[in-house]
Amino acid sequence: MPHIDNDVKLDFKDVLLRPKRSTLKSRSEVDLTRSFSFRNSKQTYSGVPIIAANMDTVGTFEMAKVLCKFSLFTAVHKHYSLVQWQEFAGQNPDCLEHLAASSGTGSSDFEQLEQILEAIPQVKYICLDVANGYSEHFVEFVKDVRKRFPQHTIMAGNVVTGEMVEELILSGADIIKVGIGPGSVCTTRKKTGVGYPQLSAVMECADAAHGLKGHIISDGGCSCPGDVAKAFGAGADFVMLGGMLAGHSESGGELIERDGKKYKLFYGMSSEMAMKKYAGGVAEYRASEGKTVEVPFKGDVEHTIRDILGGIRSTCTYVGAAKLKELSRRTTFIRVTQQVNPIFSEAC
Amino acid sequence: MPRIDADLKLDFKDVLLRPKRSSLKSRAEVDLERTFTFRNSKQTYSGIPIIVANMDTVGTFEMAAVMSQHSMFTAIHKHYSLDDWKLFATNHPECLQNVAVSSGSGQNDLEKMTSILEAVPQVKFICLDVANGYSEHFVEFVKLVRAKFPEHTIMAGNVVTGEMVEELILSGADIIKVGVGPGSVCTTRTKTGVGYPQLSAVIECADSAHGLKGHIISDGGCTCPGDVAKAFGAGADFVMLGGMFSGHTECAGEVFERNGRKLKLFYGMSSDTAMNKHAGGVAEYRASEGKTVEVPYKGDVENTILDILGGLRSTCTYVGAAKLKELSRRATFIRVTQQHNTVFS
Repeated sequence: MPHIDNDVKLDFKDVLLRPKRSTLKSRSEVDLTRSFSFRNSKQTYSGVPIIAANMDTVGTFEMAKVLCKFSLFTAVHKHYSLVQWQEFAGQNPDCLEHLAASSGTGSSDFEQLEQILEAIPQVKYICLDVANGYSEHFVEFVKDVRKRFPQHTIMAGNVVTGEMVEELILSGADIIKVGIGPGSVCTTRKKTGVGYPQLSAVMECADAAHGLKGHIISDGGCSCPGDVAKAFGAGADFVMLGGMLAGHSESGGELIERDGKKYKLFYGMSSEMAMKKYAGGVAEYRASEGKTVEVPFKGDVEHTIRDILGGIRSTCTYVGAAKLKELSRRTTFIRVTQQVNPIFSEAC
Repeated sequence: MPRIDADLKLDFKDVLLRPKRSSLKSRAEVDLERTFTFRNSKQTYSGIPIIVANMDTVGTFEMAAVMSQHSMFTAIHKHYSLDDWKLFATNHPECLQNVAVSSGSGQNDLEKMTSILEAVPQVKFICLDVANGYSEHFVEFVKLVRAKFPEHTIMAGNVVTGEMVEELILSGADIIKVGVGPGSVCTTRTKTGVGYPQLSAVIECADSAHGLKGHIISDGGCTCPGDVAKAFGAGADFVMLGGMFSGHTECAGEVFERNGRKLKLFYGMSSDTAMNKHAGGVAEYRASEGKTVEVPYKGDVENTILDILGGLRSTCTYVGAAKLKELSRRATFIRVTQQHNTVFS
């Protein structure tokens, strides 16, 4: 007999942050930098904990160059060659502390990751990313990577529930990626019926991770700076963005022009587009679990970054948090049925 | 005094499946075949338990020929003649174990079905389909068909509640079709106000049927592969699809073009379109309870089949089910307010 969990789980769109009394005089007083010490690698981190997703459209070296100027982080996608990494490392030594090298669980991915980390020892972060972080196979893989790289900080995912966050942390991961199906170009929920509303997933997983002195990344589902603030408010240590950083000069792919409007392609990493590009097509036994969209070209990502950081600073002043660190402690979410007055706008 | 059942009943869109730990390494390891032995016919079945609906647009012989290659099932619509059946049986003998003959409760339907089953004895499934499976007349009809065909497996419906599932099984049906009004071209809910959210209907009806060693079909309401997975997760033994299989090459009707887009017609079997076609119009005393839509032409159904089966395999790996059989045991539904990110849709 299937089980129904009768608690309604919530998405970002189901809540707003309640304002609270504040002694802050200006948004400029808000400190968005966070410092962490990781459970298993024992490394420390300091920066604004927003991460460009390891998708080949946004997790690019061009993106990393701009993001590192703002102390933001980039999970560089796994499709760059060793030579490309070496070239980037030679020209941008200052950015390397704000980068992760990515890998799936395949042996060719892992061999390349080893080569990159050996060639560029300044890269201290590893992003182990699979669609389904619940497989025993993945747990074993995390253990192997931890053994091989005892002093690298390991991000691993994706999962959405506390027990699996705990398992991955105890298997050697430092930071757990949380999110199944919330992304704007992810179709996992339509193709499989599996998923978990992102706000509830972040709250539950943050609680599990923090109990073990681990950390989490809220990965996916943010469609505006307010959602990023809600993810931090819900307890996320890091927030990973794909769609919000898509469509910029620094994003991968060519600029397309149609009817005088400029676009860039953005697609999920399990979409037909990505599977054709890197795996020679969609295997017979699987369905594509991502889509491809044309997003309007938004120019340089610098403007978008300022917009996001300005939004979060404003959130912090509304709830009386002088530092990003205090945001989740000051957070009270209220449940709502609509986010904004829709008269002159689109969704968010 | 009317009574309000205060328990909220749920549709597919109200839930998602919670992922669970899994020892599967790849989607390719998942086994989607199921084997059943039916309560009353004593026949056994083995295959991927997805059924094309007995609608004249999708439940076609052309569809059956493709479905059978994937061990999937087709409930052939009731408007083919005996000669059509004989021709199909001669040309596609390998398909016959994966099809059902359909009938309503009318005398003409029954006579035609009888002649088909006599002429093509390899067909062992009967689909008795009426809009309202709650009528005593239908219960009597099921008993009659059972007496006449003791060794055929009988699908019967549609109903949405446990007590009627039990009644039909005890009257001789093996597999109960569950769903009143969930279909994409069904207007029963707007025309009558009657219906039952499909996820809850499946959970409740599966529980009743399995208690008597009967089986159920979740019929209607699936809009994407994820919904099919949810229906199986809720306890459906079979899932019947109409709209998801519409608009393909193998569907009846011509492809037509409008504004450069290729389209095919799809309609409910109680719609104006169907009643005009098969009954000479909508009878004065009734309303049409279906609509007609133009669906984009989707090409060969093969691609859609692979997409659905690939989605189901992925679901099974997410919840740690090595076989489709284990899916409902591994299913925990969480309640949600939205299915997916709508930024780009």
